[in-house]
Amino acid sequence: MAGSGRGRGRAAFTFNIEAIGFAKGASLPEVVCKPPPLFPSTDNKPVPLKTGEGEDYMLALKQDLRGTMKKMPYFLAVEEDREAIERYSKKYLEIEKERAAWTPDWRRLPREMKPSKKTKKAGTKPKKAKSSELKSNLDVLKKIEELEKKDEEEEKSEDEKDKTKDKEGEDDEEAEEPEEYDEEEHEEENDYISSYFEDGDDFGAGSDDNMDEATY
Amino acid sequence: MTQAEIKLCSLLLQEHFGEIVEKIGTYLIRTGTQPLRMIVNDTGLSLDQVKKALCVLIQHNLVTYQLQKRGFVEYEAQCKRVLRILRYPRYIYTAKTLYNDTGELIVEELLLNGKMTMSAVVRKVADRLTETMEDGKTMDYADVSSTFVRLADTHFVQRCPLVPEAAETPEVPPPPAPTLVINEKDMYAVPKLNLVGKGKRRRSCDEDENHEHKAKKHKKDGEDAEPPPDDGIYWQVNIDRFHQHFRDQGIVSAVANRMDQTSSEIVRTMLRMSEVTTSSSAPYTQPLSSNEIFRSLPAGYNIVKQVLDQYLTLLADDPLEFVGKSGDSGGGMYTVNLHKALASLATATLESIVEERFGSRCARIFRLLLRKKHLEQKQVEDFAMIPAKEAKDMLYKMLSENFVSLQEIPKTPDHAPSRTFYLYTVNILSSARMLLHRCYKSVANLIERRQYETKENKRLLEKSQRVEAILASMQATGAEDVQLQEIEEMITAPERQQLENLKRNVNKIDASENQVDETIFVLESFIESTLKKP
Repeated sequence: MAGSGRGRGRAAFTFNIEAIGFAKGASLPEVVCKPPPLFPSTDNKPVPLKTGEGEDYMLALKQDLRGTMKKMPYFLAVEEDREAIERYSKKYLEIEKERAAWTPDWRRLPREMKPSKKTKKAGTKPKKAKSSELKSNLDVLKKIEELEKKDEEEEKSEDEKDKTKDKEGEDDEEAEEPEEYDEEEHEEENDYISSYFEDGDDFGAGSDDNMDEATY
Repeated sequence: MTQAEIKLCSLLLQEHFGEIVEKIGTYLIRTGTQPLRMIVNDTGLSLDQVKKALCVLIQHNLVTYQLQKRGFVEYEAQCKRVLRILRYPRYIYTAKTLYNDTGELIVEELLLNGKMTMSAVVRKVADRLTETMEDGKTMDYADVSSTFVRLADTHFVQRCPLVPEAAETPEVPPPPAPTLVINEKDMYAVPKLNLVGKGKRRRSCDEDENHEHKAKKHKKDGEDAEPPPDDGIYWQVNIDRFHQHFRDQGIVSAVANRMDQTSSEIVRTMLRMSEVTTSSSAPYTQPLSSNEIFRSLPAGYNIVKQVLDQYLTLLADDPLEFVGKSGDSGGGMYTVNLHKALASLATATLESIVEERFGSRCARIFRLLLRKKHLEQKQVEDFAMIPAKEAKDMLYKMLSENFVSLQEIPKTPDHAPSRTFYLYTVNILSSARMLLHRCYKSVANLIERRQYETKENKRLLEKSQRVEAILASMQATGAEDVQLQEIEEMITAPERQQLENLKRNVNKIDASENQVDETIFVLESFIESTLKKP
């Protein structure tokens, strides 16, 4: 029986080796020590490609299709920021892009696909910024007026002042508490109320070491 | 979806739709059905980009959406449909052979745009045809419409599912996503349009455009003051019908190769008669009587009824069983065995692949195993008449490449190897699947190589494009030959050689992709025919 004992240094298998075709005692093929090569050489080369009118036409169609699809509005390319040189053609390219943009039939798509609200928001952002700026200006003016009123009322009577202060305080404290804190924090030790004097952008921030130019 | 399919889909999407769409498409194919916010989270793209990409994918029928019961919408990618992008040139070419240039352009426009209304298609195709015609001639809308109607009648284009008629009360808010429905009867019904007009050339300025506010704001054609009469009725290419056509073509050419031209014409007639009566996944066509076939033969073939009967008997007796006899009434009822034909085509493809890859002796062993189903090692040597050592070598080579498999039959319950039969066998279905997977890998490799070649020579290509543009503009303004020659010499001779090489390589790779796709079609049709439809 094959493999009944350690066959004196010879390999012994658990099955009849003749079953897979090796004659008894014949040398087995060598052991493979490394993975097969990545591009093994083939003895049989592939058959040449089909040629003909149909195949040529389909080839041309394929290449045309590739080129055409790159120009369609469906081709979403990642926009590269090439702001290095302002090109004159940029103005016209943008018009071309707008003209080529495609809008789908929104009735056929889920409602969440529609970006109309988003674009409106993007459009109103600058408006909002402007309005917030306007509001901030208004706020500043309001604050000035209210503080003026406060000072006048302080001179008049304390009761009225208290009442109005309470009233205004309720309104203003919520709005002005942060600002009051800020004012108190930034208060310099002088008689000037800092809210009357609006700092320019360059006050304190810009170092005026090279003040050769006169400011107007 | 296998890794090879996913890789191929991602390459196809990137080439045809850009990187953003590719990222989202690949993500959906890999992870299955997902809602919008998951896609945004996992891909890392902005919401705006994801929305645009999904719109593009839905427009091209590559992604479908479904309204879930909980009220949100989930998106699913159709991997198989993405792989069809490889076959677009074949669809367009088939339309050209059947319906000439007009049909070709209609199918091309529908494939490029995914879905379109009939009026939009007719207008675009008429404009394109007018461009190619001589000065002064224009293409009439009526011709294009009639070709469109013929395409719809033969089911090559079909209607997309429609948004249901919304008869909602104001209290009920519209659903987050429309559920599109299509009635079987309406799928090919062409709306009654009165499209009157002619194609326009891009150069000429037409007074009609001024009526429609076009001159002012560069609006597209679709945004007219009033909606077109077939608004909301979109058409798409019916890919299954094209596949049916390719399958019929394959069967007819197989019969022509095996027998002769006349028998292939007979089979073609039988298939043509069953085009609309048999569904595309039926195992065999409806039975046709010999008399009907005789009446429907094309006019050029004047063979006698008796000869036709002889041919039919010959076809039915053929061991490949393309045609089967199902009865004797009406002069003999015959059907075309579609599934058997597909199996024969796939088997022939397998045999030819083994022959080309391993040699004709291996092919002999392979065919022997196909015929005898299960054979032992010794029997293979005897039947194939190949010496033992070589037969063993070939069998193991094929076994290692999974073309051939081993079947164990134990004699004793303990499966001892010395007391077990080992039989070699070929399982056609699993070999077909394995080869299909390999085909996908090959196409992916071809596309990558082509992109690499193009990228390596990008600088040279751009230079040659610029030179051509300069040449064209100079020729248009009328320049002398000397100047033109100077410009041409900007590209040196070795550069020209390099460009030639590049062009030749790219053409070869493209042609290979087309031909691998033909094999993919045969194998896919076979595998699909074996799946049991619920």
